[in-house]
Amino acid sequence: MNDSNGQGVLDEAEARSTLSDEEGMAALRTLLLGPAEAQIAEVQARLADPKRQLEEVSYVLPAAIAVRSRRDDELTVALAPTVAAAVERSVRKDPQPLVDAIFPVMGPAIRKAIATALSGMVQSLNQSLIHSFSFKGLRWRLEALRTGKPFGEIVLLHTLVYRVEQGFLIHKETGLLLHQVSIAGTPKLDADMVSAMLTAIQDFVHDSFTSPQGDQLETLQVGELTVWVEQGPLAVLAGVIRGNAPQDLRAVFQETLERIHLQFGVALSEFKGDSAPFADAAPLLEDCLQSRSDAAQQPAASARKVTPFVVFVSMLLVALLVWGFFWLRDMRRWDAFVERLRSEPGIVITDAEKRGGKYWISGLRDPLARDPEMILQESKIDPTAVVSRWEPFHSLSPEFLLARAKSLLEPPNTVKLNVQDGALEAEGFALHQWVVETRRAVRLLPELGQFREEKLLDLSRIEDPLLLFELDRSELVPGQQDKLGLLVGNIERLQAQAQRLHMNVLLEISGHTDGSGTEVRNSTLSQERAQAISATLRVLLPVWSNITIRPVGSKKRLRDEVTEADRATNRSVTFKVVVTDAQ
Amino acid sequence: MIQKKICMLGTFAVGKTSLVRRFVESIYSDEYHTTVGVKIDKKVVQLDEQEVMLLLWDIQGEESVQDLRRSYLRGAAGYLLVADGTRRDTLYRTRAIQTVVQDTVALAPFLLLINKSDLTEAWSLEEREIEEMKDKGWQVIRTSAKTGVGVEEAFLTLAQKMLET
Repeated sequence: MNDSNGQGVLDEAEARSTLSDEEGMAALRTLLLGPAEAQIAEVQARLADPKRQLEEVSYVLPAAIAVRSRRDDELTVALAPTVAAAVERSVRKDPQPLVDAIFPVMGPAIRKAIATALSGMVQSLNQSLIHSFSFKGLRWRLEALRTGKPFGEIVLLHTLVYRVEQGFLIHKETGLLLHQVSIAGTPKLDADMVSAMLTAIQDFVHDSFTSPQGDQLETLQVGELTVWVEQGPLAVLAGVIRGNAPQDLRAVFQETLERIHLQFGVALSEFKGDSAPFADAAPLLEDCLQSRSDAAQQPAASARKVTPFVVFVSMLLVALLVWGFFWLRDMRRWDAFVERLRSEPGIVITDAEKRGGKYWISGLRDPLARDPEMILQESKIDPTAVVSRWEPFHSLSPEFLLARAKSLLEPPNTVKLNVQDGALEAEGFALHQWVVETRRAVRLLPELGQFREEKLLDLSRIEDPLLLFELDRSELVPGQQDKLGLLVGNIERLQAQAQRLHMNVLLEISGHTDGSGTEVRNSTLSQERAQAISATLRVLLPVWSNITIRPVGSKKRLRDEVTEADRATNRSVTFKVVVTDAQ
Repeated sequence: MIQKKICMLGTFAVGKTSLVRRFVESIYSDEYHTTVGVKIDKKVVQLDEQEVMLLLWDIQGEESVQDLRRSYLRGAAGYLLVADGTRRDTLYRTRAIQTVVQDTVALAPFLLLINKSDLTEAWSLEEREIEEMKDKGWQVIRTSAKTGVGVEEAFLTLAQKMLET
């Protein structure tokens, strides 16, 4: 009993203790997790309430978009189809809002497009003109002729750095073609079979050259063509490239393949042979169809076609060349004419230019200078195209001073004038009256200022003196010897000047008598007197031969005889210088 | 258009290539067999107003099943096992091949083609042996690449089966 009682007490105690354990745990739980439980309930309530979720997402959505857009462009890629569909639906529903929205940008966009197209046309025209007639262009034409290929293709082959001609998107597992893009003009391949064969070759290479990392075939070289293969988890991108593509292009391929996986991931994994959905991948694939030509070699691809525009420009060019030739010729003639005038004495050009299709020239001209109209006629310039204006002026150059002096002073031919150091110099012999007038005139010409007559002989020194004779005799009265001496000196000077001027000079000696005595006696006496002086001069001037004597007698008296002094004057000889001729 | 990859499998010289040539116009030469071990051809067939493009992977027949390139089987929507009616061993080889193929493409439908049906004199298979195959659930079609008997039927039947799966 005790035992059983004892057992019952024990059981009860155990039960109580178990109960109190449970209560204690509950109390402990409440104590420890009480606040957390409330929070959990709150979170559960929030998760269960779509309205609250909406509010919360809307709170972080703009910031989240901004953060993701900064990191990469996957959001853009993911949103693109949705946005496109939304725009399409909106337009279908009512196009007006979109029309209103894009209206302000339409004009500028169209203008920009036209400007770009025009600039491209001009660019290609330039290249055509540059390369059409170049040696390189001719060589390529010959090559085209030789090989029978079109010129355009030859040019392309020579200038192309690289060109991605075709792009294949291949389903990795089946090797089936999903989509294919190619640039215009490339030969059509059976893309389905190419894809399958390409996959088979990849498998073959992969199986044959097993590598631990499971490396894949990346490049195939077929003559001038290279096939780049980019592997993705579900699809393969293959590009057929002509030429040498840069490694940067790999990144473009990889990026394209990544985008395709992102956009078509589901379609790729569920692919059952229907390639229709992948037609939308065309724009992405077309991004891979890049090419680059060597700008330096850029040729005349369009040179093959002679368009009316090219003909027009060529004609324009020829017209321009012809016009340019005549323009250049006229310019040269004009320059030569102006230069000629500049070097012409007595002409100073102050202005010469071409304006409004006419030549304008103006300046100063000495009236004694050459007539510019004459020079213009010699220059072959159309005189009607030239407008000239000349102001008269006096040139101070020696030749113009001399010319002006000559026209003013009218020197006899026995005088030679020179301008030396601003002074007028006379040489030779002249009548006293001319000498006197010249002295006066030169004083009135400021530009000359000085008259130098050291080399000029005033003929009055020979023609003025009288040699007086004794009454009824042919002998000089005493005191005449000095006069004779001076006279001889002057005759010697005359002789020297005449020789320098290459002139023949004759000295005429006239014998005179007074009125006393008979006429016959006077005639004889006058002859004797002239001969006596002539004889004396011949002795004193042995080289002087041109002497004539003229017995005047008393018929033509020097003076009327009123006084004895008059009579003494008439008993004389006089001299006259006669220029006979040039030597 | 729906595209499907089909593999042609069978021992050396059972007539796989001849069957394909009977069915399509080839663009690749047979040399591919010796270089890459596979030759690819294409045929568009009309099934109930639906066009299906069949890409035929004609895989080179190997002496040993171990030499079969499994990577060529990947992604196949169906396959044709080809045996030579004049060589009994080729029929039994198809069993071994099918076991290997099933590892790679488990659910793909297939047909057994017993080729060279025109060579009745050299025929070495007994009807019983063929019935055994049918009992396993295999569909069997007798073909002759030479006369064309059963060829079109074989390809169209497989195509139909592939569309149904």
